[in-house]
Amino acid sequence: MGLIEHRFEDNFITANLDKVLNWARQSSLWPMGFGLACCAIEMMAASASRYDIARFGAEVFRASPRQADLLIVAGTVTKKMAPVLRRLYDQMPEPKWVISMGACSNAGGPFPTYSVLQGVDKIVPVDVYVTGCPPRPEALLYGLMRLQDKIRRESTVLRRPAVDAVQRPGSPSAETSRR
Amino acid sequence: MRDFFRRILLVDLLQGLWLTLRYTPQPAFTFQYPAERRPVAARFRGVLRLQVEPETGAQTCIVCDQCARVCPDDLIALGGHREPGQKIKVLDYFDFNLSRCSFCGLCAEVCPTKPIKALIMSEDYELGSYSRATQVMRIDEMYDGVPIEAYRR
Repeated sequence: MGLIEHRFEDNFITANLDKVLNWARQSSLWPMGFGLACCAIEMMAASASRYDIARFGAEVFRASPRQADLLIVAGTVTKKMAPVLRRLYDQMPEPKWVISMGACSNAGGPFPTYSVLQGVDKIVPVDVYVTGCPPRPEALLYGLMRLQDKIRRESTVLRRPAVDAVQRPGSPSAETSRR
Repeated sequence: MRDFFRRILLVDLLQGLWLTLRYTPQPAFTFQYPAERRPVAARFRGVLRLQVEPETGAQTCIVCDQCARVCPDDLIALGGHREPGQKIKVLDYFDFNLSRCSFCGLCAEVCPTKPIKALIMSEDYELGSYSRATQVMRIDEMYDGVPIEAYRR
């Protein structure tokens, strides 16, 4: 980029393709809210008018996984629900991210029983864990901002050494450009 | 003639929308979150915090283990040792697993120290982390608080 920078007139902008991609991806995360229990109410509160999640680009909560790129797991995941969650996660197209919201989806919460899955990261790879019971809507927005930070540090086009780039877990091994 | 004017001036539309239009010139009450925060209640139960004496910085915890015993999920583990010649115990480690905490407040309620409690629930609620390993808080983080990114925009 050093070769073409400042070579043109003022209405040409030169930028790094990775940065443009990351900016586009982080500013328009469309969530598929997977609201299972009480955390779903706080997720709804975050998308209401007092703490607007639309200010962060996550305006449309798609109902279909095929049209979403962020899965917010909000609530207790039971073992009966786990295959359904995995199937919906598999139906989401790449690039996809997962936010685990609340104590129950982080680590089973206050229910160490035989029917509750102790942590949703046993079945899907989680990018950000938001703690709380339930987390305040501001806490969910804070988790969303941390996810935006993580996306900003990704490298899709350029292959960076592993120290710099963020390895995205769960990508299929055939996709070498993201390693 | 009257129908013509009704259709031209969109009277039916305005009648249906008058509630929305009444709210339009009012100021929005969205909290622009990173720039301004909503003040929390006085009894808000945020993340746990260990307190020190405000003047001397001395330890207030007496290592009585009540908080660990009352926690419904056994998330607290603490230990201390007694210095020879001293009466109070010195707190060695305080491990608190934040991932499962349901913020019930029993641990802070049962803490017996006076005049300021050793274990309180602070006002922090911004707890987003990238891995589960960072959610186990050790004793330094219990005193200083979880390191959070300060977003301003």
